[in-house]
Amino acid sequence: MNSQRSLTLAKHEYRAALRSRILVALLGILIVVTIGSVYIASVTHRSQVADYQAYAAAAQASGLAKIAPSPLAPMSLLRGGFEYLQIVGAVIAIALGFLSVSRERSNRTLALLRSRPISAGELASGTLLGAVAIIATLVATTAVVGVVCIGMIGNDWLSPQEYLQLLLAYCAAVIYMTGFYALSVYTTAKAKAATNGLFIALCVWLVIVLVFPQIGDTLDSDNQVPGGLFKAIGLNRADETTVLSHFSIFETTRTRIEYVSFAQHFQRFAFAMADVKERYRPLGLGGLMARVWTDLAWVLAWPILLISGQRHALRNQPTIPEGASS
Amino acid sequence: MIATVASHQVLALRRRRVLGVLVGSLVGVTVLAGILGWASHRTIIGVYDESVKLLAARGLGAPPNPFLLKPVLSLLSNMVIYVTMIGALVALVLGHLTVAEDDTTGIGRLVFSRRLTRPQYAAGKIAASGLVLGASMLACAAVSVAALLIVNRAFPSVGDIGRLGLFFGFSWLYLMVFALIGMVTLLITGRRSLGLLSAMGVWLVVTFAVPQFTSGLRPSQSLNPIVDPISTTQTFFRITRRARPLSIAEQFKEASARMIRTAPTEPTTDTIIRALPIAAAFLLLCAITVRLVQRHDFSRSNSGE
Repeated sequence: MNSQRSLTLAKHEYRAALRSRILVALLGILIVVTIGSVYIASVTHRSQVADYQAYAAAAQASGLAKIAPSPLAPMSLLRGGFEYLQIVGAVIAIALGFLSVSRERSNRTLALLRSRPISAGELASGTLLGAVAIIATLVATTAVVGVVCIGMIGNDWLSPQEYLQLLLAYCAAVIYMTGFYALSVYTTAKAKAATNGLFIALCVWLVIVLVFPQIGDTLDSDNQVPGGLFKAIGLNRADETTVLSHFSIFETTRTRIEYVSFAQHFQRFAFAMADVKERYRPLGLGGLMARVWTDLAWVLAWPILLISGQRHALRNQPTIPEGASS
Repeated sequence: MIATVASHQVLALRRRRVLGVLVGSLVGVTVLAGILGWASHRTIIGVYDESVKLLAARGLGAPPNPFLLKPVLSLLSNMVIYVTMIGALVALVLGHLTVAEDDTTGIGRLVFSRRLTRPQYAAGKIAASGLVLGASMLACAAVSVAALLIVNRAFPSVGDIGRLGLFFGFSWLYLMVFALIGMVTLLITGRRSLGLLSAMGVWLVVTFAVPQFTSGLRPSQSLNPIVDPISTTQTFFRITRRARPLSIAEQFKEASARMIRTAPTEPTTDTIIRALPIAAAFLLLCAITVRLVQRHDFSRSNSGE
């Protein structure tokens, strides 16, 4: 495989994607909603930071030797941003994959490309590389926007350890979106009419990203009453575990449904890294990885499977658009 | 002529097996909502009973069962989410296909050689979408009544059936808005892929982005029928909540929750006011569709890409 040719194809893919109006519009939507979500969370956070600083100053002035550390988790302000990457980011990746295949077909440049000494492997890896570069640019943009908003609006800048955790979370986001890109390339390349491939990819997205997590979430007995069922009854976490042990089949089914969705695994991993869940906040990076390594494995496994499918589909795809005579 | 265009469109959707898939998807999610409602209801009653036993063993009294206060139709609370999530997407695809098929097959070039005006053609297309979605909602309502009959072992009261009918009628109106968005985006962009992705973009904005700005609802909260009240005391929300009546996904969920009584009651006029922006969006989109059909160049066949 010639790496120079793959690189040329990757550059072509990157430039062509940036020229797509719809893709740019979807990117714009993602960036605006990310800024919005971080801004909304940061405004509340700013007043909490001010409260803590007032407490710390008062404690210092009264000569207290030990000042309680801040209970605030600035990275958790990125929760909305990660949820948007999970939902909107996946749609963008699907659009990217669809446009990548349909553009070459409808412009009739695929047949031209095939006439050049380019192997199917080079074509697949070149377009994949370009797509990963686009996705990484997009994720990096939302990450920078999020971190700057936390600092500028929330008055809380992150520590080096937190930056490292975020880096891992955003790398997982790139892998997650690449999975949807590969899915879309697969379905579009396999379909005679490219639009049908887009339909199928969107159906899979709907089931994986929205339906399965929603089923798991709404079947959670604690979610049936606003504020939580167990809180309403007056039971603590230990009591909750005791009670739920009588409903192991129901709970297992509920969690298995969620388990099938790699979107849910991405969310768990990203939330753990971004301190969204309180139970993970005291843990260092090693402790965090020990808890969520299975989620990371799922996030990696699905895209790898889909990428191998993408290579196969690109090798066998029709070179002419539907309705055109051969 | 409107009836001819509509019946031809329904026939075309049936021949391409699209009709079965679309109606099947909507009925399928109704069945799913019923199963989920039944499973969670049964388990939660059990969870409550076990909790009472645990508290009694400690000599503590148990609070009243929060589920006894739940109305009969709350079993279908997931349906409100599925209409905004899956139903709206199905409606987008339906609206998209209603216009796209004539462009792709070339019928659009021939049809105006007959005594057919463009507003009649547009009205026929809108009526076809309305018929398909109406039939789907009727089937969903029948499935819902069956689900209620199975779970509660009693036929729903006349009042509950009326509320159910109102909810599905309102859902039809909401879905029609998205079917029209599917048509409008395709007529504006002129390309199938661009039209479909643009419609998806509109759906994402309406369903997830707007509620975040007007009510602080995160995307995952928009997927749950039971949401904790969110503090919107910030200056930001004091400004944006004025636009909340225009957030049609939120208004649909709020009004529907009142119809099936999963939310605290409010005066009927307030619920009607919540429905008005959706009705206004429907009328506005109907007018836009007719206008765009009048200006659309049907002589250029769309390749489908």
